Order: sequence, then structure tokens, then C-alpha cells
Amino acid sequence: MADLRLENVSKRFGDVQVINGVDFEAKHGEFVVFVGPSGCGKSTLLRLITGLEETGGGRIFIGGADVTGMKPSKRGVAMVFQSYALFPHMTVEDNIGFGLRLAKLPKEEIGRRVAEAARILQIEDLLERKPRQLSGGQRQRVAIGRSIIRDPKVFLFDEPLSNLDAALRVQMRLEIARLHKRLGATMIYVTHDQTEAMTLADRIVVINRGRIEQVGSPIDLYNHPANRFVSGFIGSPAMNFIDVNEHGPENCTTLGAGPASIELAGCQVAGATAIGIRPEHLELAGPEDGDFPATVEIIEKLGAESLVYLQFDGSELPLTMRTSPEHSLCAGETVHVRFNKDRIHFFDRDGKILNRP
Amino acid sequence: MVEAAAIDRPLRDFNPWPAVIVVCLVCLAVLFLAPTLGVLLSSVKTTRDIAFGELWTIPDTLFLGNFGEVIANPAVHRYILNTILVTVPATAASIALGVFAGYVFSKLPFRGSDVLFLILVSGMFFPPQVILIPLFRLFNTMGLIDTLWPIIIVHTALGIPICTLLMRNFFATVPNALREAAILEGANEWQVLMRVALPLSLPAIAVLATLQFTWIWNDFLWPLIFTNSDEKRTIMIGIVNLKGQYSVAWGVQGALSLIASIPTLIVFLFFQRYFIKGMTMGAVKG
Repeated sequence: MADLRLENVSKRFGDVQVINGVDFEAKHGEFVVFVGPSGCGKSTLLRLITGLEETGGGRIFIGGADVTGMKPSKRGVAMVFQSYALFPHMTVEDNIGFGLRLAKLPKEEIGRRVAEAARILQIEDLLERKPRQLSGGQRQRVAIGRSIIRDPKVFLFDEPLSNLDAALRVQMRLEIARLHKRLGATMIYVTHDQTEAMTLADRIVVINRGRIEQVGSPIDLYNHPANRFVSGFIGSPAMNFIDVNEHGPENCTTLGAGPASIELAGCQVAGATAIGIRPEHLELAGPEDGDFPATVEIIEKLGAESLVYLQFDGSELPLTMRTSPEHSLCAGETVHVRFNKDRIHFFDRDGKILNRP
Repeated sequence: MVEAAAIDRPLRDFNPWPAVIVVCLVCLAVLFLAPTLGVLLSSVKTTRDIAFGELWTIPDTLFLGNFGEVIANPAVHRYILNTILVTVPATAASIALGVFAGYVFSKLPFRGSDVLFLILVSGMFFPPQVILIPLFRLFNTMGLIDTLWPIIIVHTALGIPICTLLMRNFFATVPNALREAAILEGANEWQVLMRVALPLSLPAIAVLATLQFTWIWNDFLWPLIFTNSDEKRTIMIGIVNLKGQYSVAWGVQGALSLIASIPTLIVFLFFQRYFIKGMTMGAVKG
């Protein structure tokens, strides 16, 4: 049974349609990440699930029950806020046990459950402290503690790592993954960081302009994006896009215009107006077997790999190529580059994908 | 050469304004402190000394008889009791109403709430003299003249605009995420207010408690209008009433004035830690 089901959920703020008929299901124990650019409606969708915002249409089911008109606290959800939303005047212990105290549970029961949550999150020695005496990572743990103590059906995370520095973000990401494994709970996680989405998710929901663009496993989305938006959003560095010259010769795809155009013989999809290729599917070649010459603009040496930004007259944007660090390239150098033709994605005028590479 | 020029420059560019400002401030401070000093000096002198025109001289011996007379006077006890009976409920009621209204305007806005807020706050700019006669007639009709009720009611009502304004602005600084987190934990609006928003708003409440308490305690106008008998007078009217049969008892009045100032001083000292914080709240990013 699905722990969370959204049926044609929509939301409008004034004249702006923020969520546009969203249908979605999360199975029990699944880690689902809502990802999309800022303002795409992913946080609003989360708030609709919690009940902090009223839905404009559609229905929401949690644990099989219709919770659409239900009060937030009765829905069986717990949320970790982007700002942690810890009560500054309360100790960590009081913060974690706040909901149980409101529910008037016996003191011994509250104490036992707070201690258990603190043990899981390794914050036993912080229980007497106030939030201002904690580091960002510790605050994050307390916020998670406040959510797990209520034993909800669905955990909701609203960009919980965005206030942390890069190193701590990686560490907390791992801890959230471990927590999910340990609790086996259904988790819905909102982020605009596609790396977080790729590393944490069982399934990713890509949202754009209040609509679901695609739902799938991280690898599925990476290898088989449904459209140009998903192709560009999933993957870092992003996929390279080059426009197709529609006036080129038949039986081949011509990229770019004029003398700098690239002709990809025997590689054509009818109706394609653009191609997309991931940085790792471009490779260095010799003058004879390369598809086009390009000028090296910048090289980013990341240790295990290098990212090479190439200037090519047929494309306004630089192309990104992932290479081995052993290649000794210099900025300004002209190189010959070859496409991995099996991995080229073709898109039509509306951005819809035309092939399945 | 450079150093010499740097040293010479302040002498050449002598700016007289700081000195002028300091002189003006000192004059103002003296003007403000002179009455207090006069009251202090008169309270420790006999009526005879004052009558001989020695009000402003430093006395050789401290005469504490005025204080003894004031403390032993049963009328003064009644004045103080009446003032407490007016000040404490009116302060508490105006702050409580301001807290509720401020919370709604800040966290639960509704259609037209901004306009309603402006109307409410504009109440601060009504001079009391405008509503004095209608209020007297109203309370007279209700049979409440010469009781403490009209003073309590008027002070509560007149305190609502400033209390609402301050509390609304303070609650606006309490992040919405805290309210939402509490609601998700099962709190209703009353619990959000009492357990989350209010404990975080102690500086604002301390400011209001100090201001309201001082204004109501020191008020002269409303008790003068709404009370007739000596049994219902508050302390500020009582000071004026404390006069001898043939002459004004300056010494006794001075002593009572000082005694009457003690409660407001205590309230200020009690809340001053929060008061300074509250006055500067929102001034800088915290």
C-alpha cells in the first residue's frame, strides 16, 4: 500500500497556478526526492502534504486515509524545516519532546522516547543545551529528533541541508541515508540540489512550473530523461545541448550553422531540433577520427577527473567534456573531439525526447 | 611633514558644533533635573525653612518628618491602594489585548486586517480632551463616576493601540516556521501563542509593562475627571490634596512625590534588562 498518494493536487496563489494537477504515489519505506529549480513549486507541494497550505483541488492520501481536509497534526507526518525551526527558548530535550508534551503523554514515556531519539541521533550529551549553543549540524539532528519521536507515517524534509557548509552537508546526507535505512520509513525530501537528489533518492520526482516532468530512479533519469528540462537538470556538470541545423544534408545530423557545422553521418532522428550529450560522452580524438575541432577555454582539474570547457563556433555556450586527468591540455589549445554517437539524445521543438539512447 | 600636517589639521579645522551641542545638552539636563532636585530638597526640609525661601539651599540636617507624616497618613495608604487597583489591571489588560490583537495581525491576517490595524493604531493620535466629555457622560449614565472602573477601562482602551502596534511588530520578527513547526507538533493557535510566541516576546512585553505602568501610575487627568471623593483618589491627585489648612505643605508633597515615584522606578529597574533590548529590537540584523 502507498504511504502517500496525491490525486490531481493543485494550488493557486492569486493569479499564479503554483501546482498544476499533480498525481503521485510513494510506496512504504521509499525515499522520494522532489527536485526542481527555485520557484518550481516543490516546497509548496510539501506544504500541501503537511496541511500547512490548503489544497486548491485534488486529494491527498496518507496511509490509505484521505487527509485532504485534515489538521496538520492529525495527518501522521513530521517535517524537518529548512531553518530547523527549533524553539529558541527551549532546551534540546524540550524541543524534541514538545509534541509529546502537547499530547499530554506521561513524563516517563516522554523521557524514554526523547532518550531513544537522542540515542539514535547521538545527541544524548546535548539535551540540556539551548539551540543557540549548538552547531548547524547539531541543530539539524535535533530537528530530525523532533520529527522521529512522533513516529510519523511519512517524514518530510524541506531543503534540510541548504544552511550547512559543503563538508557538513555531505556528512549529514550520509546520516539521513543511514537514518532512512534504520527507520525504514517513507521519506519525502525536497531539494534544488540534484547531487543530493541523486545520492539519496530511491526515486526522484523532477518538478518544473508546478508540474511533474518525470518520476524515476536516479540512474533512470540520468540515462533516460523524458525531455530537455530533465536532461539539463539531472547531472553535474549539465548535459551539453547543440541546436540541429535543419537545412543540412539528408541522412546525417548537422549541428551548428555555417562553416563550423558538424555533420554526424548515419545518425539522424526525424524532427530533431537539438541534441544533448553528457560531458562523459565527448572524448578527445585525433584529427582524422574527431567529429569537430574546438578550442580549450578552461580546464577544471578535480583530481580524479578533469572538466574541459570547449569553445566551438557552432554553439554559443561552451561544451563541457569530462576527461581523464592524465590528458595534458592547455587553455587556448585546439583539440579534436568525438561524440559517442550511441549516447546522443535527440529533442524535438517542444523539448520532448525522440530516442532512447 | 605628513605627520606634522596630520597633527596641525584638527587645530585649523576646529569644529565648534560638538562643544555647542554639549553645552545645550548640559543646559537641558539641568532644566530637566532642577524640578526633581527641588522636590528632593523640599522633602527633607521643614515647611518653615521653605517658607523662608531656603528651598534651593543644601540643608545642614536632613529633616525626615515629612516622610514620617506621609507614611503615617491613612489617606496616603488609600491613594496608593487605589493607584495599584487601577494600574495593575489596566496594565495587564491592555498588554493582554495588545498581545492577542498583535498576534492576529501578524500571524493570522485576514481580508481587511491591514486597514483594521491602521484604524486601531490611529487611536494613539486622539487627544484625550476630545473624548473626555463623552466618556464622562457615558460613565455617568452607567453610574460609574466616583469608582475606579472608568479609569481602568479608559486606560485599558487607550493602551490597546500602542500595545497592539508593538506586539504586532515584535511577533512579525518571530519566524513563521516556528508557528508551523508547533502546529505540526499538534499545537493550536492558543498553544502556539502561549508556548512559542509569547516566551520569545518577553522584551516587548517588558517595554510595554514599563511604559503602561508608568503612564497609568502617573496619570492625573482621568482620576481627576472620574473621581470626586477622597476615598477614590489615586496618588497623583492625592499629592495635590495634601495641603495644609492655610498654606501648601511643600515638604509633605515633596515627600509623597518621591514615595509615589518608587513603584515606577522599581518596575523600570525590574524590566530594564529587557527594556533596553526591546527598545533596540529590530534595529540591527540579529
